[in-house]
Amino acid sequence: MRLSHQAQGSVSSAGFIDPRTLARINNLELMARIVVDGFINGLHKSPYLGLSIDFAEHRPYMPGDDIRRIDWRLYARTDRYYVKEFEADTNANFTVLLDVSKSMQFGLKGINKFDYARYLAASLTYFSNQQRDRVGLITFDRGIVDYVPPSAKHLDIVLHTLDRAQPAKGGELKPALDHILGTLSRRGILVIISDLYESPERVLDAIKPLRYRGNDVIVFHVLDPAEVDFPFEEAGNFEDLETGERIPIVPQTQRAKYNELVLAHIAELGRLFSHDQIDYALFDTSTPLDYALFHYLSNRVRLMKTR
Amino acid sequence: MPLAFLAPLFLGALAALAVPIIVHLIQRERKEAQAFPSLMFLSQVPYKSTRRRNIRNVALFLLRSAALALIVLAFARPWFEGELDASSPLATATEKVILVDRSYSMGYSDRWDRALAAANGAIDGVGPEDVATIVFFDGGAMALNQATSDHARLRATLAGAQPGSGVTRYGPGLKLAQSILDTSDKPRRQVIVISDFQRAGWDGGDGVRMPAGTEVTPVAITDEQTANIAVAGVTLRREDVAGRERVTAIARLINTAVEPVAGVRVTLELNGRDLETMTTDIGAGDAATVTFAPFTLADGSQRGSIRVDTDALPADDAFRLVLSPGQAVDVLLADGGGQRSTLYLERALGIGDQPRYRTTTKPANNVRAADFEGQDVVIWNDAAFPGGATGAALGEFVRAGGGLILVLGPRGSWESAGELFPATVGRVVDRDDPGGAFGFIDYGHAMFEVFRAPRSGDLSAARFFRYRPVAGTDAATAVLARFDDGAPAILERRVGAGRVVVVTSTLDNYWSDLPVQPVFLPMVHQMTRYSAGWIEPSPWFTVGQVVNVAGPAAIVTTTAPDSAEGGAAVIAAPVPDLVAIAPGGDRIEVPTGLLSLEERGFYELRTPGSSVIGRIVAVNVDLNESDLVSMDAQELVAAVRPRGDAAGRAADASRVSPVDRERRQAVWWYLLIVAFVFLAVETVWANRISRRRTAAG
Repeated sequence: MRLSHQAQGSVSSAGFIDPRTLARINNLELMARIVVDGFINGLHKSPYLGLSIDFAEHRPYMPGDDIRRIDWRLYARTDRYYVKEFEADTNANFTVLLDVSKSMQFGLKGINKFDYARYLAASLTYFSNQQRDRVGLITFDRGIVDYVPPSAKHLDIVLHTLDRAQPAKGGELKPALDHILGTLSRRGILVIISDLYESPERVLDAIKPLRYRGNDVIVFHVLDPAEVDFPFEEAGNFEDLETGERIPIVPQTQRAKYNELVLAHIAELGRLFSHDQIDYALFDTSTPLDYALFHYLSNRVRLMKTR
Repeated sequence: MPLAFLAPLFLGALAALAVPIIVHLIQRERKEAQAFPSLMFLSQVPYKSTRRRNIRNVALFLLRSAALALIVLAFARPWFEGELDASSPLATATEKVILVDRSYSMGYSDRWDRALAAANGAIDGVGPEDVATIVFFDGGAMALNQATSDHARLRATLAGAQPGSGVTRYGPGLKLAQSILDTSDKPRRQVIVISDFQRAGWDGGDGVRMPAGTEVTPVAITDEQTANIAVAGVTLRREDVAGRERVTAIARLINTAVEPVAGVRVTLELNGRDLETMTTDIGAGDAATVTFAPFTLADGSQRGSIRVDTDALPADDAFRLVLSPGQAVDVLLADGGGQRSTLYLERALGIGDQPRYRTTTKPANNVRAADFEGQDVVIWNDAAFPGGATGAALGEFVRAGGGLILVLGPRGSWESAGELFPATVGRVVDRDDPGGAFGFIDYGHAMFEVFRAPRSGDLSAARFFRYRPVAGTDAATAVLARFDDGAPAILERRVGAGRVVVVTSTLDNYWSDLPVQPVFLPMVHQMTRYSAGWIEPSPWFTVGQVVNVAGPAAIVTTTAPDSAEGGAAVIAAPVPDLVAIAPGGDRIEVPTGLLSLEERGFYELRTPGSSVIGRIVAVNVDLNESDLVSMDAQELVAAVRPRGDAAGRAADASRVSPVDRERRQAVWWYLLIVAFVFLAVETVWANRISRRRTAAG
């Protein structure tokens, strides 16, 4: 069953989890490219050493270190105190930051961006929960709308919150993400799902702090094909979904320039995110979610191996 | 070569082509705004205000428009004007009317076969651009087909046709041909008359003139010598023998041949059984009568016929009739003055067999109510009008449909007859010598109509010396005759269903000499028949007549020989619903009671759903058609030929109707083909553009 067919009408919380999508990405792993905090052994690198069996390094003993971790053998050879450190795998905080601004409600044919984003968020959350990550959700427009703190037991709440979420206001990334930044206490994987209708510089300015805090930030840029192709034929007024502003548009004469601007915007976002080691993926709502997600995760795994 | 259109109004549909352009030009931008996630990029695109959009694919638009325009032009039925070659089939196209005489004289010898051969020959001459109509005519005319050039259809029209029973009349056929040719748009017209051109059927053509340019071609189907014997009529003489009615049939035969005929066998047939056959000789162009032996007439009506041996014209070889028992009118003669006053009346009513009069004479003062039963007419002859029960019964008798003739004499009194005849009867008026006479007679009245023609009875010869003046009549009383002094002589008044006739002078030779005048007998008969409401039934009719079979005047009722119903002949009562079985076996509905007699033979009338024959009508041919003398066909041609024929034909020959030229050129057909090709190309092209656009999107 195509995802677009499921997206019509109200969707239950479980409805956002498409078996076909999950089956497609079942053999993949969403691994944090950076070290994330965690309490239990998992797939991700822990920021803490000594809790694992894989030796990492020796370092000089510092006052306060647990004297049980002093490598006495090395002390015998060097007459210096060194502490033995081990690499530890841990579970991660996996938090989806979902843009619920009104612009996400757009969809010319088939599924709209918001529903597509919800499917995407639900699939990733379920997927992460399956690999024992703590999952959370933050919906935002200009500020935080809903906040589900990451927890291994919050999958149901996340799905329920996704189900209830409705775009209601205009959005702005910077204030919203700044606010979110203050709520995040641990490093983890942050998946931002948005249509990113701001200048690339402002987008990056809003997202960069999250990255600098040590989070693994993944940006999913969700767009409707009509936002790229601009297939409109009849001249008329176009209304901004968020501001309500109207301007007259003659598609035939403005399409080419519009396409050019949109593609430039996407390219600039890709370039800037890549520069700051932020994962960026453009999702087209006409592309089946299973296919898009598989494609993204496959690439991510391949890139991590090469790094 | 200029282009013209048969239906130029269709060109108005070309305006429809402007609709998409106008819509395109006047279409405004959508009022409903298109929701869009963000105007971030759109607001950066310079907006160029354009009120009207351009047509994206001009060639496709032109292709569609051309296809539609071609279809519209095709519907407008274009054709090219210009001079037409006079030798072209279109310029020589002819509207032909083939008139075929189907009167019964065409059944003479092999005339009908020759007529059909001539008609088929005329059909062979119908070219692909010609059209022909076959018209059969006799007393009337009927076009058997729509004008067509299809030989098979024309021949099918002739197949199985047989001569009818009608007489030849050229007027109807020629008029029908004229009306067909008047509406023709062909450059040439032709009437082919296939007939035996009987002189008897020619009445000058009824003033018919064919349209200009019409060629009249006679095809005479005649014989150099003809021989025909016909049964021209039958006279039935009736007499009572021992209470049974015996009939003597006298047949009249005619021989129209130029040679005498000897030994002609004549047979009397009754109910399909030959009663008697006799032989006679008839001179050339002469007539003969044959008297058969009297035979006793059975109850009920019977089919009879008198026939001669079949000759070359069989239609007139038999004369059919319906033999019914003779009619009788029962008359009660109430006498007020004695033997002398009723003598002449009794003598007059004692003569006659069609109808017979059964007279009962009684003294007026002995007449009782019961005496009126079974009577058709009561003659109250010079007696005081009865009072009491007798008077009331007489009133009922009249209201129920009986006839009353009041003859006023010296003893006639009037006090109690007011209801039947409200008037005042004055004292006897004496006329000086030589007496009075009829000064006015209403010959339009049914009673006196038979005397209208010259030498049909001189009523004015009678002299009247005395009469009783009548005054104070009401509006319902009509004066049918007056004396020369203006006093009413004969009056009539309708009372209920009956009639009251008053004669103001006596019907003896004391007050007038009317009884000794030759007109007395028919006058008394007429007066009695009229008062009784009697109408003579006709034992036969002639083809072409229309008969009111529901009315009493038509025929007598009868009972089929095998019917269990009573067989006494009575005057027919109106029948509301009848079905006639024609001699040929056709079933004819007669809802109005009017039956048009088209065939010779016996028509059987039945009530719907019943197998019992109710009535029989004998129908014979009109013997005028038996005279086979032919006329010169050129006489007919000259009579109907159009005036100024030569010039008209020349002028007409070069004229071809636009309809024909358009049909011949069939430009619309080519336009439609091109239009459909355009549309096919447009479909392929548009689909390709659409697919390309979809793929690009």
